[in-house]
Amino acid sequence: MTTKADPAGPAGSARQLSERRPLGDITFQAVALAAGLLVLVILVLIAVSTSQQASSWFSSEGIKIFSSTWNPTNNQFGALPFIYGTAVTAIIALVIAVPVSVGVALLLTEVVPRRWARPIVYVIDLLAVVPSVVWGLWGILVFAPWIQHYYASVSSGVKGIPVLDSLFGGQTSGASFFTAGIILAFMITPIVTSLSREVIATVPAIDREGAYALGATRLEMINGAVWPHSQAGVVGAVLLGLGRAMGETIAVALVIGSSATITPHLFAPGYNMPAVIANEFGEATGLFRAALIGMGVLLFAFTIIINVIARVIVERSGRRQRGA
Amino acid sequence: MTVNYGGGGSGKGRTDLASGTVQFAGSDSPIPSDEASSFAGKPTVLYFPVIVGPITVSYNLSGVTKPLQLTPTVIANIFQGKIKKWNDPAIASLNSGVKLPSTAITIARRSDSSGTTANFSLFLEDSTKAWKLGSSSTINWPASSRGGDGNGGVAQIVKSTPGAVGYVDYADAKASGLSFASVQNASGKYIAPSTTAASAAAAGAKVASNLTFAAVWSGDATAYPITYQSWDLVFAKQKSANDVKMLKAYLGYLLGPGQQLLPSLSYAPLPANIDQQAKAQLSKITS
Amino acid sequence: MAATTGQSVDLREPPSWRRSKNRIATILMVISFVLVIIPLGFVLFTVIAKGISIISWQFLTADIPPNVLPASIGGMGPAVVGTLEITALATVLAVPLGVLGAIYLNEYGGNRLLARLIGFFSDVMTGVPSIVMGLFIFTIWVLHFGYSGLAGALALGCLMLPIVIRSTYEMLRLVPDPLREASYALGASKARVTVTVVLPTALGGIVSGALLAIARAAGETAPLLFTILTVTTVNRNVFSGANTSLPSQIFANASSPYVGAQARGWGAALTLIALAFILMVAARLVTARFARNLQ
Repeated sequence: MTTKADPAGPAGSARQLSERRPLGDITFQAVALAAGLLVLVILVLIAVSTSQQASSWFSSEGIKIFSSTWNPTNNQFGALPFIYGTAVTAIIALVIAVPVSVGVALLLTEVVPRRWARPIVYVIDLLAVVPSVVWGLWGILVFAPWIQHYYASVSSGVKGIPVLDSLFGGQTSGASFFTAGIILAFMITPIVTSLSREVIATVPAIDREGAYALGATRLEMINGAVWPHSQAGVVGAVLLGLGRAMGETIAVALVIGSSATITPHLFAPGYNMPAVIANEFGEATGLFRAALIGMGVLLFAFTIIINVIARVIVERSGRRQRGA
Repeated sequence: MTVNYGGGGSGKGRTDLASGTVQFAGSDSPIPSDEASSFAGKPTVLYFPVIVGPITVSYNLSGVTKPLQLTPTVIANIFQGKIKKWNDPAIASLNSGVKLPSTAITIARRSDSSGTTANFSLFLEDSTKAWKLGSSSTINWPASSRGGDGNGGVAQIVKSTPGAVGYVDYADAKASGLSFASVQNASGKYIAPSTTAASAAAAGAKVASNLTFAAVWSGDATAYPITYQSWDLVFAKQKSANDVKMLKAYLGYLLGPGQQLLPSLSYAPLPANIDQQAKAQLSKITS
Repeated sequence: MAATTGQSVDLREPPSWRRSKNRIATILMVISFVLVIIPLGFVLFTVIAKGISIISWQFLTADIPPNVLPASIGGMGPAVVGTLEITALATVLAVPLGVLGAIYLNEYGGNRLLARLIGFFSDVMTGVPSIVMGLFIFTIWVLHFGYSGLAGALALGCLMLPIVIRSTYEMLRLVPDPLREASYALGASKARVTVTVVLPTALGGIVSGALLAIARAAGETAPLLFTILTVTTVNRNVFSGANTSLPSQIFANASSPYVGAQARGWGAALTLIALAFILMVAARLVTARFARNLQ
């Protein structure tokens, strides 16, 4: 496709190297564009097709889809217990995972010499590669029976104390909201850590060195130079962790206890949206199935919104750095 | 001939039969009215009873060696969360001489739609006024109960949780090494689950013309009151003559030589009269 | 700058309470890391300890027995076959499309709104729960065409697509522009430049990213729940008929009270982790070699 410069033409004349783009080139671009568009198409299709399957649930229940009564036998499909469970397990996971993840991220960027950073990153990646179902298997066969004793001790210990009794008292079970929250925390730590690390790493070296030059300790440097810059980004990372915690299915389905109830007792068996879909979809027909798919739609909507906000925050904080 | 058996509860079996995904479905209860619509316009469903079996009330109490004795009322109250501890007077009064711990009772029940649940709740509904939660493949269990997937799932919860109690199919309970209770039957006797006691229960059941019946809470003084039955459901009209041949061969085996194998698998064979009627029904499968 | 009171103050040393706070902070950070290692260590240790005794050639190839049978009988053969064929099909579907999508974003899209939208939503898509992907394929495929390994592969493919797009995009960005410009100067079209110059240069990174996506997909259970109808017999036809996979079997066995089934579950878990680990190590090796090439 090379076009030799026309020897007869005046030297230095502006001449198109090719008058017309060859068909192969146009086709390639079209194919690449189609592949890229596939992302948008899939997202739209997900929203449309699942909503359509769930429409009988939305229309028959109306606002009652948010009621707290879930009784398939009586055709009552209020989703509130599962929304509650999703929120509770996600919050427990964040409370545990965020300090730990940010701590590790800071460890990697500020404390540890570069040579040691690599093996630590490998460990984090190894944590990320453990499949959800293996977490669930270990969770229900090993972790839950072990931790049940501690739940029972804590529960009898806080009997009668006002707030603590409602949260940690009552009947305890190895398979419960709290166990699911802990396992979720293990699972979202890698993503929150690696994203926080990326964000913290964009803090200009000059700010760090400036703080040290003024005599700051490492903690003070982190508070003064790193934190203001990376705050927004870390928030974004946390939101991404939240999205992941809300959607994680299999490990939760195995260790949450499969009991659709709204209770403040964190050590009691519970249920959440992805877990009930996973456990009960196979048997469900008609309105029951529509309700489960409908919860899938809600889950999709929640996670999309959270992810969009998170990405916007992360991108904006990144852009601020680059501009500066 | 390859017979492929996919797992799942009775509800899933009926769904898959209706949608044509499978050619025969196992179900522990007849097609309930709310599922009838998915079978509308399809050929008649034939019920072939194949096995009878006990449903145990299994528990995890390490100190208790003799099987506990329980009445239907006490069982109903345990599973409704009204009796919360093992040393409750209601349980103790039935079991003098047994040292019951003060452990809290953890209820284990099915999280999936299940024929075992349907038969267990039907037993409670028929036997005692204390049971208020009705009978169905899914029940509105108390909030603190734990759900397990399949008989195995419930067995696993009972096995791993001290103080747990759950209703588990006899075969699964025995294979998991669980302890189970002797239940009082309609004649007032406490009977332990066994294949002979299950057959005794089925022998006393009233059989409808389409071969459906309920073996719970029936039978003589030797009958185990929580006995369930299982049918293989097939459509009377099949797509091909080969399908008819295969199904007749498979079902014929189950109703004939297969029945001898059942006790070794911890299931009970059908009473003779029911078996005869089922074999006669084979001729109704056509293509 | 010495104090006039006669006491000498070393201005480089922060007072002790600031030092203690700093030390506590460092200790907390180290504790965080330990808190991460502990569960990881526990899980890996348990999986290896409980799984290693059952792993054997028989385990990897024999049929799946009824749950009640002991660990010495049967194995997870059908699940291994299922995982390999379904994941392979998902890879064939997702990786080329992902690479092409990334090519659009980096080579053609530039700063246009559509390209930025696609890039943004591709990242958002990585956050969509895998169970939603499973429900999606159930509604548009399984309801019409039934359960199959192909349906499972479609669901896994949807999961892998945005991951491959993102990692490929990052690799393409690393290819220096002068390389492209030199080729354009010779009169090559953009398509030709991309295929013959850019892709080969970025290949190592692309492969590495794809391997990580495959590792992720191989371990997923939720997308397969509603698409392959977990059975226990082997199905070598990935395009039709119900199938099974290692994660599906582990999920089923995890709720079983039988020691044999649980042991098989641990063995399958070990197999799965080993598979993911091998893919991860392979990805690192490829990256290391690729980095050397770029230098």
